[in-house]
Amino acid sequence: MTAVTHDEVHAGPAPPPTGWRRLLAPGWLRVPWMTALFFGIGAGITVLVRWLEGWDPIWKGSVITTVELTAVPFGFLAGIGGFDYWMRYAAGSPTRPEDHSGHGARSWRDYFRINTDHKVIGIQYLVTTIFFFVAAGLLAMLMRAELARPGMQFVDNQTFNGLFSVHAALMIFLFVIPAFAGIGNYVIPLMIGAPDMAFPRLNALSFWLLPIAGFMMLGSFLAPGGAFASGWTGYAPLASTHQPIGSVFFNMGVQWAGASSIMTALNFLVTIITMRAPGMSFWRMPLLVWANFTTSLLVVIATPFIAGSQFFVMFDHVMHTHFFDYQAGGYPLGYQHIFWFYSHPAVYIMMLPGFGIASEVISVMSRKPIFGYRLMALSLLAILVLGFSVWAHHMFVAGMAPWLRVPMMVTSMVIAVPTGIKVFSWLATLWDGRIHFDTPMLFALGFVSMFVIGGLSGIYLAAVPIDIHTSDTYFVVAHIHYVLFGGSLFTIFAGIYFWFPKMTGRMYDERLGKLHFWLTFIGFNLTFFPMHWLGIQGMPRRVADYVPRFADLNMFISLASFGLGASTLVFVYNMVKSWRFGPAAAANPWRSLTLEWQVSSPPPIFNFDEIPQVVGNPYEYGVPDARHAVFNGDRQVELEEVPTR
Amino acid sequence: MRRGSVAQLVAIGIVCGGGAALVAILIPWLPDPASRQAGRIDFVFWFVTVICIAIFALVAAVIIYSVLKFRAQPGEDMDGPPIHGNTGLEIVWTAVPAALVTAISIVSAIVLAKNDHIPKASAAGDPLHPLVVEVTAQQFAWSFKYTGFGDLTSATLKLPLNKPVKLRITSLDVNHSFWVPEFGQKQDAVPGSWNNLVITPDKNGTYPVICTELCGLGHALMRSRAEVMPAQKFLSWAKGQQKKLGGPAGSSGKAVFTANGCDSCHTFTPAGANKKIGPDLDNLRQEAQRAGQPLEQFIRTSIVDPNAYVEPGFTKGLMPTSFSSLPKAQLDALVSYLAGGAKK
Repeated sequence: MTAVTHDEVHAGPAPPPTGWRRLLAPGWLRVPWMTALFFGIGAGITVLVRWLEGWDPIWKGSVITTVELTAVPFGFLAGIGGFDYWMRYAAGSPTRPEDHSGHGARSWRDYFRINTDHKVIGIQYLVTTIFFFVAAGLLAMLMRAELARPGMQFVDNQTFNGLFSVHAALMIFLFVIPAFAGIGNYVIPLMIGAPDMAFPRLNALSFWLLPIAGFMMLGSFLAPGGAFASGWTGYAPLASTHQPIGSVFFNMGVQWAGASSIMTALNFLVTIITMRAPGMSFWRMPLLVWANFTTSLLVVIATPFIAGSQFFVMFDHVMHTHFFDYQAGGYPLGYQHIFWFYSHPAVYIMMLPGFGIASEVISVMSRKPIFGYRLMALSLLAILVLGFSVWAHHMFVAGMAPWLRVPMMVTSMVIAVPTGIKVFSWLATLWDGRIHFDTPMLFALGFVSMFVIGGLSGIYLAAVPIDIHTSDTYFVVAHIHYVLFGGSLFTIFAGIYFWFPKMTGRMYDERLGKLHFWLTFIGFNLTFFPMHWLGIQGMPRRVADYVPRFADLNMFISLASFGLGASTLVFVYNMVKSWRFGPAAAANPWRSLTLEWQVSSPPPIFNFDEIPQVVGNPYEYGVPDARHAVFNGDRQVELEEVPTR
Repeated sequence: MRRGSVAQLVAIGIVCGGGAALVAILIPWLPDPASRQAGRIDFVFWFVTVICIAIFALVAAVIIYSVLKFRAQPGEDMDGPPIHGNTGLEIVWTAVPAALVTAISIVSAIVLAKNDHIPKASAAGDPLHPLVVEVTAQQFAWSFKYTGFGDLTSATLKLPLNKPVKLRITSLDVNHSFWVPEFGQKQDAVPGSWNNLVITPDKNGTYPVICTELCGLGHALMRSRAEVMPAQKFLSWAKGQQKKLGGPAGSSGKAVFTANGCDSCHTFTPAGANKKIGPDLDNLRQEAQRAGQPLEQFIRTSIVDPNAYVEPGFTKGLMPTSFSSLPKAQLDALVSYLAGGAKK
C-alpha cells in the first residue's frame, strides 16, 4: 500500500469517470444493475439446483424469496461500493490509496455515498435511525387508532399483529440500538483523541447494512400474506410454522441489522482499546466511552445468539427442519432460551450507552465532577456480567424447569444494585451543583426520573409471583416503554441536542427544544402510565380487541399517544430548521472539558490538527485550572498532573 | 448541609411519597382475588409497593429539590464544588438496595413455594383432592378435561370452591398461555409438554379465561370462562354431564355442542348460542348450497376439515382443526343435532 501524505488527502478524489464508465463507478448508477445481477444469480442457482434435483415446482416463491433476501442486499452493497477496496485487494489490482478522500461531506449528496469518515457515518446513522423511528411511530399510531375502541375498526387481525411486530422490530433493531451506535460513532473517536475509527471501511459497510434491514422489515407488509405477525420476539412454533412468508423478512432483517451491530461493536472495541490519545488511561476515559466499551462487549458476545435463533426459525419455516417442531422431536422452549440469551443483554445494549450520555450531560450541566466515577464505570461492568445471568426471567410462566425461577429472580434483583448506584450517583452529582436547564439536561433529568419508574416496575416483574400475574399483559407494555422510551429514547434526545452544535456547527432552537421536551414528557406519561393498571386488571398484550370495560381508558391512551406522536414533529422541525439556518455554534458552548469540545464545531477533517495529550480526568469541574487534555500549543502544563482530589 | 435544607428535602419527600401512596391506595389496582394464590400474590405486590414508594419518594425529592435550589442564574459561569465521591455514601447506597432486593427475593420465593404446593392425592381416591383438570389449548379455543370423571370434557372451566385444583396444561399447535386475572395464576401452554399450575378458588363466581401468549390471528378472541361453584354443585354438574355426553345420539348433540365450545363463536338458536365470530349455524342450509354439498356431508366436513370451504366474509384458519379427533359417536350426534336444528 502506498503511504498517504496529508497533502494527497486534501487533494480530493480522483476525477469522476465520464460516459458509460460512470456505470462502473461505485454509486447509485451501479446499484440497479448490480442488484439485478445478484438477483439473477440467486434465482439462477436456485432454479438450477431445483431442476437438477427434479423438484417441483422449479420456481417456488418462498424459496426464491428467502434466497433473494440474501442475494439482493449483497448486490446493493456491491453496487454502492461497500466491497470495492477489499475486492481490488483480493484480486491483486492496485488499491486506490485515495480512500480517505471520502472523509468529510462537502454537500448533502455525500451522505448518500459510501463514506469512511466516522463523523459522516455518525450523521448517516442518526438520520437513518430517526427515519425509522418516525416510521415505527406511525405504525404505533395506527395501532392506537385501532385500539381506541373495542371491536375491529381499521385493520384486520393479521395486519394488527403485523403492526405491533414491525413497530417493535424497527424501534429496537433500526432505532434504539443503531441510534446509540450513531452517537458513539460520531463522538467516541473525538472523545478519546483519535483521528477516526480503527476500521473506517468496515464502519461504512456496517452503516449500509442498516437501511437494508429496515426496508426489509418495512417491506414485509408488501409480501403475500402480510407482514411477520408473531411479535418482535417471534416465538416458535408460531413463527416457524404458522406465518406467511413475511416472517422470513424478519428472520433475515435481523441478520442484516445484527451483522451491522457486531461490526460496529468490534470497531468500537478495537478503537477504544488501541487508539486512545497519549495519557488517556482507562480511568481517564469519559463514561460514555466506558458505556460504549461495555455495550460493545455485550453486542459481540450476545448478538450471534439471536442470529442463530432466527436462522433456526427460518430453516423450520422454509426448509422444513424440526428445531422447534415437537412432533418431530424439536423443543419449542429452546427457541425462547436462545432468543432471550441475546434479548435480555440487548436490553442493556439499549440502555448502557444512554447511561453514558446521561453521565456526560448531567456532569457538564451541573458544573460538577461525576459523583463516584470509578464506581460508575465498575457498575457498568457489573451490569455486563450480570446481564448474561438473567435471561430466563422472561420465561417464568413459559414452562421451563421450575427450579430455574428462583435463581433467575435473585440475579435479576441483584442487577438493581449497580443500576441503583448509577441513579444515586447522578443525584449526588446534581446536589449542590450550578445546574443549567438546557434541553439536553431536561431530557437527562426526564430520563433519570422515568427510568426510576421503569426500574421499579422491573422489580415487580422480577418477583416471580407478581410476574406470574402480570406477564404478557399491558403491565409489561408499560414497563418496557418506561425503560426504552423514558430511558433509551430520552437519552438519545439528550445526546442529539447535546452534540448537535458539534455535529452541525450550528445551534438548535432552545425554545423549540424545551417545547419538545415538555410535550414528550407529558404525552409519554399520559400514554404509558395507565397501561400499568390495564395490565394488572386483565388486559393481555398484543390484542386488537378487548373487553368493553377497558374502552374509556384505551380511548384516553390513544388520544394521549397522538399528542405524543405530534411532539416528534417539533423535534424534526427543529432539527431541519436549525441544521439549515441555525446560528453558528461555538466550539464549546457547554464549557465541557472532554476532548470533542476542544476542537472546532464541526471538527477538522481528521479531528485533531495536533495530537492531544491527556493529563487529567474528564470531569474536573470546579477544580481551579483543571485540564483534561492539552495540545502542543500549550506545553507549559503538559507534564504536570492536575490534582484530582 | 444546613438543617433548614434537610427539613425542606424531607418535606418534599413526604409530599412525593404521600402522593404516590394515594395513587397506590385510591386506585383499585388489583382485581378482586378469587383464589388463595391470588391473595398471596397480592401480599407480595403490596410488600414491593411499599419499598418502591419509599425509593420513588427519595429520588423524586432529590431531583425536585435540586431543580428548585441549585438552578444556575442566567449567564452565571461558576462551577459547583468539586466533590468526587463519598465512600460512606457509596457503601450505603450499595448495601441498602442489596438488602431490600434480598428481602423481596425471600418473600417471593416463599410465596412461590406455597403457590406451587399441590396436596398429595388422597388414598381414598377422592377426585376432588386434588381435582385434576387437563387444559388443552389450540388456535383459538380452550378445552378442559376432567380425568377423574371419565375424561369428561368441557369448553368452560368449572371448579369446586375451596378445593385445590391441579391444572395440567398443554397445547396442540403453538404456544398459548392460560390466565384468569382473578386467580392471579398464569402458565404457558406449550406443544409437546405438560405444565402444571395450582389454583385453589375461594370465591364463587364466573371469571374470564384469557390467552396471554400471542398465538396467531384469533389471539384476542381466544377466551373462555371459569366458573367457581360449591363442591356439591360441581359434583352434580359433572355427573349430569357424564350422563348426557354418553346418551343416545339424538339427546347428546346439544351437550357435545356446548362441551366443545361451539357456542363461543357461532350463533345457533336451538342451543341458545349467539356469537358472531364464526358463520351463523342457523343458516347452514344456504351455506351448504353455496358450498355445493349435501347438508349432512357439508356439516361433517366443516367440523373435521374447516378450511375445505370457508364461508365468504370469514377468515380461513380461524376455526380450530382439532375437532377431527372427536369420538365418532359424538361427531355423529353433533352432525345430526346441527342438521336437525338448521332453519329450513
